[in-house]
Amino acid sequence: MNVAPPRPARNWPLLLGTLGFLVGMTWWSGHGIGFSLTELLCNLPGGQRLLQESWPPDFAFLPRLYAPFMETIYIAIIGTVVGGILAIPIAVLAARNLTLGPIVWFADRNFMNILRTLPDLFWAMMFATAVGFGPVAGALALSVFTIAVISKLWSESLEAIDMGMPEAVRAAGGTWLQMIQFGAIPQGLQHYVSYALYAFELNVRASMVLGLVGAGGIGMILETQRANFEYERVTMIILAVLVAVLVIEQISESIRKRLA
Amino acid sequence: MNKNQGSIRFTDASVVYPNGTVGMKDLNLEIRPGEFVVIVGSSGAGKSTLLRAINGLNRMTSGTVEVDGTKVPQKDGRELRVLRKRVGMIFQDFRLVKRLTVMSNVLIGRLAHVPGWRAMFNLWPAHDREVAMKALERVGITEKAWVKAAQLSGGQQQRVGIARALAQEPAIILADEPVASLDPVTTHQIMKDLVRINRELGITTLVNLHFLDLAKQYGQRIIGLRFGELVYDGSAANVTDEDFRDIYGRDFTEDDVLDEDAVGG
Ligand SMILES: Nc1ncnc2c1ncn2[C@@H]1O[C@H](COP(=O)(O)OP(=O)(O)OP(=O)(O)O)[C@@H](O)[C@H]1O
Ligand SMILES: [Mg+2]
Repeated sequence: MNVAPPRPARNWPLLLGTLGFLVGMTWWSGHGIGFSLTELLCNLPGGQRLLQESWPPDFAFLPRLYAPFMETIYIAIIGTVVGGILAIPIAVLAARNLTLGPIVWFADRNFMNILRTLPDLFWAMMFATAVGFGPVAGALALSVFTIAVISKLWSESLEAIDMGMPEAVRAAGGTWLQMIQFGAIPQGLQHYVSYALYAFELNVRASMVLGLVGAGGIGMILETQRANFEYERVTMIILAVLVAVLVIEQISESIRKRLA
Repeated sequence: MNKNQGSIRFTDASVVYPNGTVGMKDLNLEIRPGEFVVIVGSSGAGKSTLLRAINGLNRMTSGTVEVDGTKVPQKDGRELRVLRKRVGMIFQDFRLVKRLTVMSNVLIGRLAHVPGWRAMFNLWPAHDREVAMKALERVGITEKAWVKAAQLSGGQQQRVGIARALAQEPAIILADEPVASLDPVTTHQIMKDLVRINRELGITTLVNLHFLDLAKQYGQRIIGLRFGELVYDGSAANVTDEDFRDIYGRDFTEDDVLDEDAVGG
């Protein structure tokens, strides 16, 4: 008869050690940035006043959010589409099993690393000096950000594909490009779409942050209202953004499910 | 039909893999156009190595392979693609794009025949679509042309694999254990298809098999490999159990035959 082996005992020392380590790290980090609980408690009345002034949300302000909100979405869409397309060759060349050669692979990997290391705000500043502050600079910055996100994730899933089909294309006399198109990409397509949707979600959020520094859209409105102490409007904007982000995530989730 | 179509010649050919494994050793072999050759040998004997040398998927470490008198190029490039265009390959695991239709899969066999941009944008010339359809006809599954490959049975998928090879209008077909993932009934159907296509079109056909009874039943000529060396080359009609013992280096068991009744004779 088959008897399941007894359940192994919990490793308490390891568990407690890990917990202690995490608590220690948090305390140490908080100390490092000058976080203090007493100070926070002393400032509570100020926070309370801020909360009072922020309620109720100013619903009359809602219609004026439409245009800037759409601008935010447009910036995110352009960034996702442009970046998503450019990410394809970059991801393919960064996949060890598909790349054209060690030199190309190495150069491409490093290019990706540079894109990923620099934050989207940096790219926004760069493009702002080139094309001026505004939605165009924002869209360009998000394109770079999207390339970084998709190429990193997708090159890794491409490395995990079954090389049988690409070999079959080669065996039929196909070129390298045809091997990629007919042998590799069909296997990676599902992941690609899923990463592109994920990048879009990130881009909607990032697009708002870029708005804070002048790239237009909802982020810019948020910043103006905050600077004018219009806290009830600020609450309204945050609520609207919250709902919008939830809706977008829901839609992209359902598309992803349908693909699976 | 061109008399010089589909001949293969190995001359002192050897393959040593980077890790030192010998895949092929001093092979001298000539295969005439239109032959139906079955290659047998135990696992690791070098059957796949032999087939894959013919279309340049494996490189030789010494010696040469020629197809119709032209050496198989040993590096990637146009010349190798030109050769591969004339050599169809069939795989144990079918190697289809599951999410695409049967037709799209068969058209992959036409990639080397059309301008790159046409294939890229799925703008296949009518002639090539016709060739693909004819290939499906040849294996009897035209009605599945617009079905996704994922929805086919194993036997049907292998037929698509055969159709893709036929769509190349090849001089040679290489089949690497084409029936190893199929049940016995389907196995016989696929083997019969391969034999029939060989007879009808005169395409030189090389099939790797590991079932002895199948080799004897369907082979015209049998080639036996052991540790990368040619140890048997003769007609299937004359091959004896003794020969098989030599090829395998041991008595064979029911694992070596598809139909178990064939053992113990
Ligand atoms: N890419 C490779 N790198 C290193 N060794 C290899 C490689 N491919 C095959 N070999 C080795 O070469 C020898 C011959 O392999 P091959 O695949 O040709 O045998 P086979 O007769 O097709 O075997 P099977 O019936 O298992 O498919 C084996 O010892 C195998 O381990
Ligand atoms: Mg093999």
